[in-house]
Amino acid sequence: MTARRRDPRAERATRVVPSDGPRLRLALTALDSAAPVSVRPRRDPRARRADATVQTAPRLRLDWTGKTLAAPVTVPLAASGRGVRAAVEPVLRVIDAPACLVFAVLDRADGALSALDRQVMAAARLLADALDGAVVALAPDGPEDWGALGADRVLPLPAAWSHEHAPESRTAAIHAAIARLSPVHALFPESQDGGDVARRVAAMAGERLFAGVESLSAQRVTRRAGGGARELSCAPPRLMSIAADAVAPLGPVRHEARLLDPVTAEVPTPTLGPTRRLAVDPDGVGLNEADFILSAGNGVTDWAAFAELGRALGATRAGSRVVCDAGHLPRDRQVGASGTVVSARGYLAFGIAGAPQHLQGIGGVGHVIAINTDLHAAMIKRADLAIIADAQAVMPALIRLMRERTHG
Amino acid sequence: MVDVAVLLSVGRHPVSGRARRAPTDARALELALSLPPGRRTALHAGSPDSPALRDYLGMGLAELTVLPMAEGRDPTDALVARLRAAAPAIVLTGNRAEGGEDSGTLPYSLAHALGWAIVPDVVALTLNEDGSAELVQALARGQRRALRVAVPFVATIHPAAPAPRPSAFGPARRGRITVEPVDAPVDTALAACAVRPWRDRPKRLTVGAPGGGSGGALDRLRAATEAKAGQGRLLVGPTPDEAARAIYDCLQEQGMLPR
Repeated sequence: MTARRRDPRAERATRVVPSDGPRLRLALTALDSAAPVSVRPRRDPRARRADATVQTAPRLRLDWTGKTLAAPVTVPLAASGRGVRAAVEPVLRVIDAPACLVFAVLDRADGALSALDRQVMAAARLLADALDGAVVALAPDGPEDWGALGADRVLPLPAAWSHEHAPESRTAAIHAAIARLSPVHALFPESQDGGDVARRVAAMAGERLFAGVESLSAQRVTRRAGGGARELSCAPPRLMSIAADAVAPLGPVRHEARLLDPVTAEVPTPTLGPTRRLAVDPDGVGLNEADFILSAGNGVTDWAAFAELGRALGATRAGSRVVCDAGHLPRDRQVGASGTVVSARGYLAFGIAGAPQHLQGIGGVGHVIAINTDLHAAMIKRADLAIIADAQAVMPALIRLMRERTHG
Repeated sequence: MVDVAVLLSVGRHPVSGRARRAPTDARALELALSLPPGRRTALHAGSPDSPALRDYLGMGLAELTVLPMAEGRDPTDALVARLRAAAPAIVLTGNRAEGGEDSGTLPYSLAHALGWAIVPDVVALTLNEDGSAELVQALARGQRRALRVAVPFVATIHPAAPAPRPSAFGPARRGRITVEPVDAPVDTALAACAVRPWRDRPKRLTVGAPGGGSGGALDRLRAATEAKAGQGRLLVGPTPDEAARAIYDCLQEQGMLPR
């Protein structure tokens, strides 16, 4: 059978963009008359040139800087100048009759949305947009701008759950919500508590959880398995948990965030008792999971003061390679390329010059304070607060200050 | 007397790919062996010929029960039936297998099928007189959380739990491996997945990502090429007290100080 003969004229006619501009506009692909043509406003070079024209007689003068413009500009984009995109307030999108629902179950731990929570919202948005569906955010209640996060509906859970450990009640509530609204997908964050609840919900629903999604599209999701050696992929199943940094967060959006009736679900027999946080010995915590590290380098000689400062600050003690080689600290306390690569939030460094191998070890640290006698040390450049002083003088002063503030 | 069942799986060495003890399962066995005396049931669902099983026996285990099944079978029903028969007070296992589906959902399905409580990410376990147990859970950033659970329960062990004892050759030779044939259905959900070798993807840039709000290609280039530099507050030669106050204020601003 022969192929159908193409009709170039008809094809071209389907690509014509209706506009009242001075010249014909053609879209790259065939146009669906209902769909919007493009999101970005189109540049009009003729209008730009007209705006830049200062005078035409006795000779043409153009000013492209936009500074001498007296007349109001015709095209809004031309006014913002070259390369600068105007900040556009997103248009409110209302989805009244969604074809389906996608759940985004968020932790909202300690009363704030984490980066992973936002990524879960973005993933839910991606799946919902592909199916003409709506995103339902299930999270402990609290003052959040749910519309700007991309939620079409919000199903508030008790606000206390963002602070207390209540996996069984959360599971019962989410299971009841899934039974009531029967979403096509339910997405969970693969955080410690979020992943726990996801697995409990999966067990209760008797369904399979696709845990730790590493990449996601409307057609395919993948995860890592086989001890990290294999990649499993399939069409998006109903229950998924999203790994950290697998999905890009959403850009500026504005959705309706209509409130839904809260679900009521009771746990028949709670089996887990109340929890309490334990005080941890900072030196017993591994360097890779420590939150606040007090580190010593070759400039520290007063080890008694260093140990006392560690106790006073409640910080995990660590050291550079030189210090561990000399035996002042055990080998598992070494920070750097040949020791541990740390990701603490705070790093207080006494007498560390900042060898490249050491700086490599503190690449993921949030806030660095360095005390060193050498103004030109690499550590001083890396630090957020750098102090040119002798460690042996500053350490006792800091211990004294800590004692004053805690006892006084 | 406390009866403990330990679920053991075969791990995979991340570099050589050889079979080994799964790290968290070995920690679970270590925890089980350090509890007060009682019956210890060790279960493995999989091939009875794996050399890694002898490594578990070498930790001081007298007997290991294997429910033989090929790869790609669902072990849930077989394990539930076997655990019902053994009726232990505590079931311990690693929080994540290594070399299978690695989703960490099996302990949850077992606990749900048995109707028991489940506690994830446990690092320490002590038993009380009244038949309950005090568990310590590992949280992010080295934090710990304690809770009390009544037996029977299932607990999954976190990698931060005490390291397992090394495997000794003698006990590994002496230990018995008992095979109990079971029927295991094909895991249809796993069979529906396409399997490929894992390939590392480039790390997602968070700065200046398209649609990520502020920033453009210039910010992205800057984030990729420039070394991370601090805010650069510099105090040259302050008195020790001034320096201490600056450090204190900075730490307090970051919320690092104990309250």
